[in-house]
Amino acid sequence: MNFSDNSNTHAQTAPNHADTGAVLAREAGVRFQGPNFVACGIDPIAEWLGLMEVVQMLCPVWPVRDSPMQGSNWRL
Amino acid sequence: MSNLAEQIREALSMFARNGIEPALIGGLAVVAHRVVRATKDVDFLVEAEAANTVHDGLVDLGYQCLYRSEDAANYVRAAEGLDLLYAHRPLARRLLAQASERETPMGRMRIISVEGLIGFKLQGFVNDATRTRDLDDIRALLKIHRTSLNMGELSEYFALFNKPELLSELLG
Repeated sequence: MNFSDNSNTHAQTAPNHADTGAVLAREAGVRFQGPNFVACGIDPIAEWLGLMEVVQMLCPVWPVRDSPMQGSNWRL
Repeated sequence: MSNLAEQIREALSMFARNGIEPALIGGLAVVAHRVVRATKDVDFLVEAEAANTVHDGLVDLGYQCLYRSEDAANYVRAAEGLDLLYAHRPLARRLLAQASERETPMGRMRIISVEGLIGFKLQGFVNDATRTRDLDDIRALLKIHRTSLNMGELSEYFALFNKPELLSELLG
């Protein structure tokens, strides 16, 4: 049986001690890394339209706003 | 074209017919700045002087006004919503004027800068602390655009809302 040495791969994928502290629980332990739309030449709005086609199939009715915007801190 | 895309295209046509140049803000502007997530938020920043014209245009399109103040308005049409912020202070007027135009599948659209978008997201969060989605959006925008952001401008917005420490925390 031929076992390849994958120790390098392991070293690259395992989080190091410096990174571990930065991993957020809200990101399910996975660092947020959005795709590089510029490098890929993908229009993020076109990508969103595709996503929303699927979302609307799965969840055809979204709650609409039933109360006005809150707050009194309008400073911009 | 999806209903959502059609709703936006229709709103853009209404703005164009009335000679109004809005800027996209809110969740869809977050998407335009490369944080792609599910959202049906259609939010525009318009000149305060155009509020009545936009109101009439939206009512003609079948929208009902839920709320309207000198700062903001909420419109609904069946399951569709559309929110407006009115630019009447110097900062918002500047952000509206500086919005960049982009070709999209729904037509040409002006989109607010990342810094301005973060400012409006911060304003939304300060006004309603239950809107943690706004903080998540700010965090994601900071991560993606960190190297190119105008930090002086961002600091100005966080200081305006007495939240300078929040910027440090989010950049953490």
